[in-house]
Amino acid sequence: MFEKGFLEKGFFEKIYALLLRLYPARFRDEYGEEALQLLRDRSRDEKGWARTLRLWMDLAGDLAFSLPRCYLRPARAEAPARLMTDGLPSFHVVGSEAPRPAALLFGAVLSVVALFAVLILLNHAGSYRILSSRSDASQPEAPATWPAGAGPAGTQTGRTRSPQRSASAAAILLDDRFRIDAQERHRVIEAAAADVDKYYVDSEIAKKTADALLEHETKGDYDAVTDGQVLADLLSQQMEHVSHDPQLIMTYQAVKEPELPPPTEADLAQMRVALKRSNCRFEKVEILPHNVGYVKLNGFPPPDECGGTARTVMARLNNVDALVFDLRDNRGGMAEMTALLAGYLFRSRTHLNDFYDRGANSTEEVWTQPAPKGNRLADKPVYVLTSHESFSAAEGFSYDLKMLKRATLVGETTSGREHMGMPHRIDGHFVIRIPGMKVTNPISGTNWEGKGVEPDVKVPAADALVTAQRMAGEKIAGK
Amino acid sequence: MIDILNIDMPKRKLDPLPSAAFHILLSLADEDLHGYAIMRQVEEQTEGRMRLGPGTLYSSIQTLLEEKLIQEVDRRADARLGDERRRYYRLTAAGRKLARAEAERLAGLLRVARAKKILRGDHV
Repeated sequence: MFEKGFLEKGFFEKIYALLLRLYPARFRDEYGEEALQLLRDRSRDEKGWARTLRLWMDLAGDLAFSLPRCYLRPARAEAPARLMTDGLPSFHVVGSEAPRPAALLFGAVLSVVALFAVLILLNHAGSYRILSSRSDASQPEAPATWPAGAGPAGTQTGRTRSPQRSASAAAILLDDRFRIDAQERHRVIEAAAADVDKYYVDSEIAKKTADALLEHETKGDYDAVTDGQVLADLLSQQMEHVSHDPQLIMTYQAVKEPELPPPTEADLAQMRVALKRSNCRFEKVEILPHNVGYVKLNGFPPPDECGGTARTVMARLNNVDALVFDLRDNRGGMAEMTALLAGYLFRSRTHLNDFYDRGANSTEEVWTQPAPKGNRLADKPVYVLTSHESFSAAEGFSYDLKMLKRATLVGETTSGREHMGMPHRIDGHFVIRIPGMKVTNPISGTNWEGKGVEPDVKVPAADALVTAQRMAGEKIAGK
Repeated sequence: MIDILNIDMPKRKLDPLPSAAFHILLSLADEDLHGYAIMRQVEEQTEGRMRLGPGTLYSSIQTLLEEKLIQEVDRRADARLGDERRRYYRLTAAGRKLARAEAERLAGLLRVARAKKILRGDHV
């Protein structure tokens, strides 16, 4: 019925040129030719029935998705309409230019033809593999939110929009300056005080700070504040005044954020794939002159995914005479991985640090993992290279080894960012960030927060490797 | 380390940034590209999950241009694709800043997940 030439370039292009007439004139004039060119490019590069069909499907999805948006987006010259009516979001209906009836008719006829063609193609599939394995995810992901809260309201190519997406789309319809009333203000202040009291790492400071906020409220210090941003800034200032902790912060955003769903198994799977691709953050593993082992590690990934890689790396370095851990570009990660790697540097299980979480009211001791039998690194000299850019778990690893006098630190003082404010959501506008966790080294009784970890040998980060290599060489030769 | 405290996200009509717009900004991070090259770059960086159709691509480009997050640089032919002249787009400083802020926001979400002990024992 349909010959091979049916979906050839010329025909395809003509159909799409007609479909383009559904778009507003402004869009057509500006981008019509580009859109056709994109189609020509794809047709040229995607030959064969399966790919051609996929291209058709993409275009159908694109049309369904982008067409309403082109009409719903406000014209450039117009000031965005105020979209808050009595506290309820309202919706843009149709822009200044409606589709012409003839265009709609064209669209309807052509859509039927296209659908018919697809059905015929499916029936003629025979031995063709019609869709690639990716095709179920082939549509452009629905933008979470577009300016006019647009996007097809119901389904996109048969997929139901998630409640989160819809909530998010509605949320941006709120006016961009969020005025707060007395009730909202009271709720935010009460919640902030309660969260600080419950989660802030030092219970005494937590109580004092929370009390100060409530006292300000009782005195009426917030009564004049009707702007969300002003309230957030004021609360941040007052909290810092009492706690002296600049990381205890109230943040505000005018655009209401929906509550985010927890990561799915698919999200975690994607993270694992990314980890594997980056070789579990082990950028370089080599044996330098004088039999010095060198590991450049840019993160401390979770041992569940990367324990195997870490053990392979350490096994490869088992016979070196000295070991250099290059953490100059290391942005931190999991304490368990620091424990696994540090395990190779000790003969027996060693206490590294204590991990305290005020909210959970728990202290977890972190100890080195036992190294496998035959490990020969436990008494070899170790050098750790640091920079201003070494963060968090990288600092923990350096600090603990320094306290245990198990490594010589070479380079720059680290960033000193040990505890960070974890976000606690008050509502879609206000989020308070509260430092709630603390790492304590059992030897020093403290940590590197604010100060950073001081190296034993201070040199610019760029010179750290050469310096450590020289020191290791001398140490080995002196043996 | 992700500094989620210092995210300075401009409040505008691309806030929150739609996924397609974010990917277009990312695609332009390294070099100026024309529309089709953007589409291919986005396809590559999403491992084939996102193929921007002409309508989505150019309406996103239109919005990004209006918001001055990208700019049109010139029209020239792409030797690999024939001699038609194509419009090339470039990331502006504001666009780069927004893309970075969005990347940090996403990284911040990961931190939240960690804080909720989904990834236990982390002290990033």
